[in-house]
Amino acid sequence: MKRIWWAQIKAVIRLEMKKTFFAKRGLWIYVLAAMPVMLFIAYAIVSSHQQSRSTNIARQGERQLSYQDFRAVHSGMTTEEVVAALGKPSASFDWSENRPSPAKPGVILNVLHEDYHYSDGQNDLFVGIVEGKVQNIHIHHANNLGQDSIMFAGVFQFFFLRLAVFFGCLGIFMNLFRGEILDRSLHFYFLAPVRREVVMAGKFLAGLLATCTIFGTSAVLQTIALLWHFPPSARDVYLYHNHGLEHAAIYLGVTVLACVGYGAFFLVAGMMFKNPILPAAAILIWEGINPFLPAVLRHFSVIYYLKSLCPVDIPSPPGTPPIFALLVSNADPVAPPIAIVGVLVVALIALYVSSLQVRRLEINYTTE
Amino acid sequence: MNDRIIFEDVSKFYGEILGVNRVNLSIPPGITSLVGPNGSGKTTLMNLMTGLVRPTRGRIQVLDYSIDDPKNLFRIVGYSTQFDAFPKGLTGFQFVYSYLRLAGRDSQSAEQLAWRAIERVNLLDAAKRNVAGYSKGMRQRIRLAQALSHDPRVLVLDEPLNGLDPLARSEMIALFRSTAAQGCYVIISSHILHEVDVISDQVILLSNGYVVAEGKIHNVRSEIQEHPTQILIRCDQPRELAAKMLEYPHTIEVSIHKDERGLLLKTRDADRFYLAMNEIALRGIDIESVAPADDDVLSVYEYLIGSEEVVR
Repeated sequence: MKRIWWAQIKAVIRLEMKKTFFAKRGLWIYVLAAMPVMLFIAYAIVSSHQQSRSTNIARQGERQLSYQDFRAVHSGMTTEEVVAALGKPSASFDWSENRPSPAKPGVILNVLHEDYHYSDGQNDLFVGIVEGKVQNIHIHHANNLGQDSIMFAGVFQFFFLRLAVFFGCLGIFMNLFRGEILDRSLHFYFLAPVRREVVMAGKFLAGLLATCTIFGTSAVLQTIALLWHFPPSARDVYLYHNHGLEHAAIYLGVTVLACVGYGAFFLVAGMMFKNPILPAAAILIWEGINPFLPAVLRHFSVIYYLKSLCPVDIPSPPGTPPIFALLVSNADPVAPPIAIVGVLVVALIALYVSSLQVRRLEINYTTE
Repeated sequence: MNDRIIFEDVSKFYGEILGVNRVNLSIPPGITSLVGPNGSGKTTLMNLMTGLVRPTRGRIQVLDYSIDDPKNLFRIVGYSTQFDAFPKGLTGFQFVYSYLRLAGRDSQSAEQLAWRAIERVNLLDAAKRNVAGYSKGMRQRIRLAQALSHDPRVLVLDEPLNGLDPLARSEMIALFRSTAAQGCYVIISSHILHEVDVISDQVILLSNGYVVAEGKIHNVRSEIQEHPTQILIRCDQPRELAAKMLEYPHTIEVSIHKDERGLLLKTRDADRFYLAMNEIALRGIDIESVAPADDDVLSVYEYLIGSEEVVR
């Protein structure tokens, strides 16, 4: 019996593949999945460009500087003292400003501004000099994988999981039944000697295969784009000694679990509702307000478990109001095994409801 | 073991709209035609017997299977619907093949059965073309191939002759007959009454969601008391015969045929008429033929439902 079910599930998957992967109306899902990849590619290009500029500035400088040399510069130093400490800058810019004299009313002073740019090849020092005295100092630190991994975690949690995967699953799983009802072709499945639950399982697995492939590939490409502009030695240290590889695998796993959880939700929503906007909005709001819900209700959410599984915590910026800080940090995380089981249980409950729904589903296109 | 398709007090409402109401049927093997105007409930009845819609009330059983058990029901049922939509991107062959794979057949057997079914509906030349490029008649035939592909005992066909050219129609009618001759149940809905008349073993007449009549055409006709039976008699002395027939109290009306070689008689008791005919024949009037003139679907339909929407 199980063998025939599996054969039938495979037949459903084969039929659904073309629709889930290559439907014209699903093109936006690829755009959604590609957006964070594009973001990290753009970031990598800008970072590489900055890096090569810093290297050039360091090379053209009078002397080889270190980060410690930058720390020697402080406000109030004269131009000469700065040049004595760091050498002549390889990049500088000066300009003058006409400013009314505070001491003598009606007299206009010509104030000279100079901006010096030093680099140690990684970090950049910007020194603002006004009338021969250092007035402001800014050190632009080179990108490091520690900071970038926090940025990655932010993009992953707030854009990728909550929006890209969420809406991608909506687009694919909602259409599995609803799309065919609108196309008036669902009866094809219901006229075959196959249990409707088997059809549902086949469609769910087809949707899962499509979303996991699209968003899993996106998660992998995002990681590659993030690491791309770093030197190989830094990449190796991050990947093999600082849990980078483990983090990448966890992000991939969280993406798959997100597809399972949201997929199951939208599968049942696609059978129960004619208009996908209403359930999508309800689920989006439910997931959004999850941190503010009582502990018991919080467990009936996909994002609650997914956040607990994310390997990098996002620190709240100083001064963030506590209510917003709740959105950023996971105040009450659960252990990874419980989180995984939690998502799977939520998905199984949704799939059970779907199986009841599919048995009752009638082919009555005229009322749709 | 049940050898009928049974409807027990079945009603179906779409919200407040009536689909069918209080339907009681017991459909035997052979070709059964569902006849009725648009909206009379033909498609609802077919969708009910295949489980695509559920009855609001009542029970339906197809031979030994409940309509709630599609896994077993569709092993014996093939349904060619009126829905003119197909899964996207499939060729005619893939459409039938995918259906058989979905039914759990292995690749080799599915391929074999698909080709056989396509051959039966005479669509081999177009089998490798995308269904989206098919004409209406070809789409009709490929749906029929799908319904036939797994050799079902019950074949349900919603308007199967729509869009077919005359040659294809006669091929399909021959196919239905051969299927019915093998002891199968062929349920057909149609507007085209003369075709129904030619192919049906029994009819179910529907109007506004109600079954108006069911059974063999002759039996249905004989039960319609308010319309006298019309009989066409061909003979060499029509006037003499007309005068003799008017002596019988069951004769209502007699009119002489235009060619003066026959007459059309209306009687309220066909059995007594035939007895009278035997007596008259013995009195020397040469009778060539006696044939019922309104013992067909068309007449029954007109008497019970009205002449609107009748397609001759």
